[in-house]
Amino acid sequence: MIRTYRALLVASLQSAAQYRVQSVLWMLLEIIRPVIFLAAWVAVANSQGGQVGAYDVRDFAGYYISLTLVLQLVFSWNAYDFEYEVRMGRLSPKLLRPLHPIHYAVVENLVWKATTFIPLAICLAVVVVTFDARFRTTPAHLALFVPSVLLGAALSFFSGWVLATTAFWTTRVHAVSTLWDRGVFIFAGLIAPLALLPGPLQTLSLVLPFGYMLGVPAEILRGGVNVPTALLLIGGQAFWVVVFYFALQRVWRAGVRQYSAVGA
Amino acid sequence: MSDAVVDVRELRKTFRVTEREEGLAATLRSFVRRHRKDVNAVAGITFRIDPGEVVGFLGPNGAGKTTTLKMLSGLLHPTEGEASVLGYVPWKRENAYLQRMTLLMGNRSQLVWDIPAADSFRVLQEIYRIPDGQFRASVSELTELLELQELVHKPVRNLSLGERMKVEFAAGLVHSPSVAFLDEPTIGLDVSMQVRIRRFVAEYNRRTGATILLTSHYMDDVVALCKRVVVIHRGRLLYDGPLADLAERMAPYKIITATLHDGAASSADLDTYGTVVSRDEGRVILRVDRNVAPERTARLVNDLGDRLADISVEDPPIEEVIDRVFTSEQTTVSA
Repeated sequence: MIRTYRALLVASLQSAAQYRVQSVLWMLLEIIRPVIFLAAWVAVANSQGGQVGAYDVRDFAGYYISLTLVLQLVFSWNAYDFEYEVRMGRLSPKLLRPLHPIHYAVVENLVWKATTFIPLAICLAVVVVTFDARFRTTPAHLALFVPSVLLGAALSFFSGWVLATTAFWTTRVHAVSTLWDRGVFIFAGLIAPLALLPGPLQTLSLVLPFGYMLGVPAEILRGGVNVPTALLLIGGQAFWVVVFYFALQRVWRAGVRQYSAVGA
Repeated sequence: MSDAVVDVRELRKTFRVTEREEGLAATLRSFVRRHRKDVNAVAGITFRIDPGEVVGFLGPNGAGKTTTLKMLSGLLHPTEGEASVLGYVPWKRENAYLQRMTLLMGNRSQLVWDIPAADSFRVLQEIYRIPDGQFRASVSELTELLELQELVHKPVRNLSLGERMKVEFAAGLVHSPSVAFLDEPTIGLDVSMQVRIRRFVAEYNRRTGATILLTSHYMDDVVALCKRVVVIHRGRLLYDGPLADLAERMAPYKIITATLHDGAASSADLDTYGTVVSRDEGRVILRVDRNVAPERTARLVNDLGDRLADISVEDPPIEEVIDRVFTSEQTTVSA
């Protein structure tokens, strides 16, 4: 399997090399949203004497910079890609090879992250300096960030595949994935740090899977939660990863039976 | 115990499709209530293919050919029936099965668009776990047979349709499958490229002994490659047997072509020998009932005497036979 991954990585890197400018533009597009929210929260904080809840301007900067980094490391475009592949019949050749189609997506995600990481890091360094971002990160936080971001990526990946797999029934998953994206928008920590969400929304963000993808690893990286809380939140991440992993197994099996090889 | 490579028994596939009438009212109604209809794409077909055979799978558009190939390759689950290919149930898609078969669709690409085919072959080597020596031999053989030397190092998107099809063939066969399902492999290609692909398929079958089931709308493909054909129409099997016998079974007439020395004027009296299909200068084509063809031919030779420059008796062209099969309601014939 290692040799297979190596070969897929090489091919995917070669493809990515053809579209370097496009990759950077997509990455910039991804950065814009959190930076806009950062700017908005900075304005709100300044209008309230420099503080909103436990966050001052420098904390907001630290949070949104962490969130942008996590977004880059965690997010995947599975649902959109998968829908295209099902609709255009491009999934069929993959289904007929002795390798689960999920592996191609893993590699494409890894390559996307690897090829856009350096320009992203440069952009974030500029934001750090501009906003004088504050991080309360300790070595323990850094150590916990590794499993947390991996679990966040796995959660994003598996949940994305569960959604994508609905394309087996509907062929189009755009509406479903857009609804999911709205959930991410509200509950994952994009619109505001999870600690600043109003009471019921904050509770929901801890019950639903969204916050465990982005907000939790971002807060751990920023050092915004203490170690026992971080461990508890990582437990929540692990729970949702297991749920979506098994959901994917079931939905995939049923979906493949349903697959009508549209356009194939 | 069956030793057939492909063994299909009463295979059925029913698709449930949504139907609605045209117009605004029907469109609005369809938001609330949908009419669904079952379409029998494959309505219970049975056939076997022995090791090393090249079989033509014929039928008009919508006959169920591609659906059958998708079931046999493992892409689709059947509604009913059984099939075994190389001893495997295809739709279980076990890796051991996938490693020994290929489905090549003429209008679909399985190569990575942005990289040279040689790099895609490397990926396939790892996916199919092909040992280095075997991989090199396979690529070398396919490169030679398909004349790929100049093509494999260019990005696939820079290749012409015909070049891409050749490279697709190589990608589909690099793991040396024992069974190949070819769905319209020459579609859209120019005549010269069609001939090359046909030669390649024949040579590949000869060298490797692979079993091949081929669909094509180009009868030249079928005539060049397949001794045996399976004909389906509306999901049902109409004929399974030698291509050579298809005309005899399905078209109960022969074509007599008579060429006369003294031109078109003297062809007017030939109606009594059979149905005149065409007249072109001194050349007359007659359709004659198969049973009386020898007697009519003898009469023609006798009656026309010195006026006859040439005469031939043939089965109708295969396209005509197939067209006749598809446009008439025939019962299943098995040779």
